[in-house]
Amino acid sequence: MSEVTEMNPIYAPFFGMAGVASAMIFSSMGAAYGTAKAGIAISGIGTFKPELIMKSLISVIMSGIIAVYGLVIAVLIAGDLGRKESSYSLFSGILHMAAGLSVGMTGLAAGYAIGLVGNAGSRAFLQQPKVFVGQVLILIFAEVLGLYGLIVALILNTKISG
Amino acid sequence: MATRRTLKGEKVTEKEDIAAIVPDTNPNGANPKNDSGGPAVPGSVIAKLLLFTLAMVVAPLGSYFLTVNAVFSGNTTFAGATAAVVANVVLITYVLVAMAEDTREQEEAKKSQ
Repeated sequence: MSEVTEMNPIYAPFFGMAGVASAMIFSSMGAAYGTAKAGIAISGIGTFKPELIMKSLISVIMSGIIAVYGLVIAVLIAGDLGRKESSYSLFSGILHMAAGLSVGMTGLAAGYAIGLVGNAGSRAFLQQPKVFVGQVLILIFAEVLGLYGLIVALILNTKISG
Repeated sequence: MATRRTLKGEKVTEKEDIAAIVPDTNPNGANPKNDSGGPAVPGSVIAKLLLFTLAMVVAPLGSYFLTVNAVFSGNTTFAGATAAVVANVVLITYVLVAMAEDTREQEEAKKSQ
């Protein structure tokens, strides 16, 4: 980050920082919504059948994984930002922002879906235990949306870090 | 349920009496709530949940920082993918444990009947 040229403008790190922030913030928003929405249903059914809590917590764990995806990409981008030997180009900055936004926004979408499915699935599970397998499948499909964002972010990150 | 007799000839409290009539308020389920001040959740469940919480927090980031220099020699992409895989392994383990717990409870219910 020593030399400011046309390829390495002074504002290039802004996009990298925005990528780090959006990776963490948006995926945490999705994870928080998923945890809260599923947690409401879990506390609701937990008063009737406490033994179902363990199974219903799966949606909360999946929400946690969404946040872990965002954390991994944020740590990756932050590690690339600190290199002093090479100048930070505008290409790197915008690429980092694309990586952060892709994992953050897909995490937001996946967390939203996990929250709604976890809420409805836990309530249905109280009435009919056979819902469980289908609920886990739907949750996995919702969580895979966040995984796609992580994969795209990792592939994007290889374009500059090698 | 309504004709169930109390074991050991214990003194039947009013709450247990109601619970014997209304199955929904039965406190003698899988996780009995004892009013003597002890924990309502068995210790094994708490240990399991603590273990998974710790694994969820530590395992992905720990595997990232352990493997980034030692295994992948600085390639952060593979280390990040490893962290994601480890997080999913924790999830799958949790699903398997939750399903095993359910089948064990069913067997115990069959034995007790």
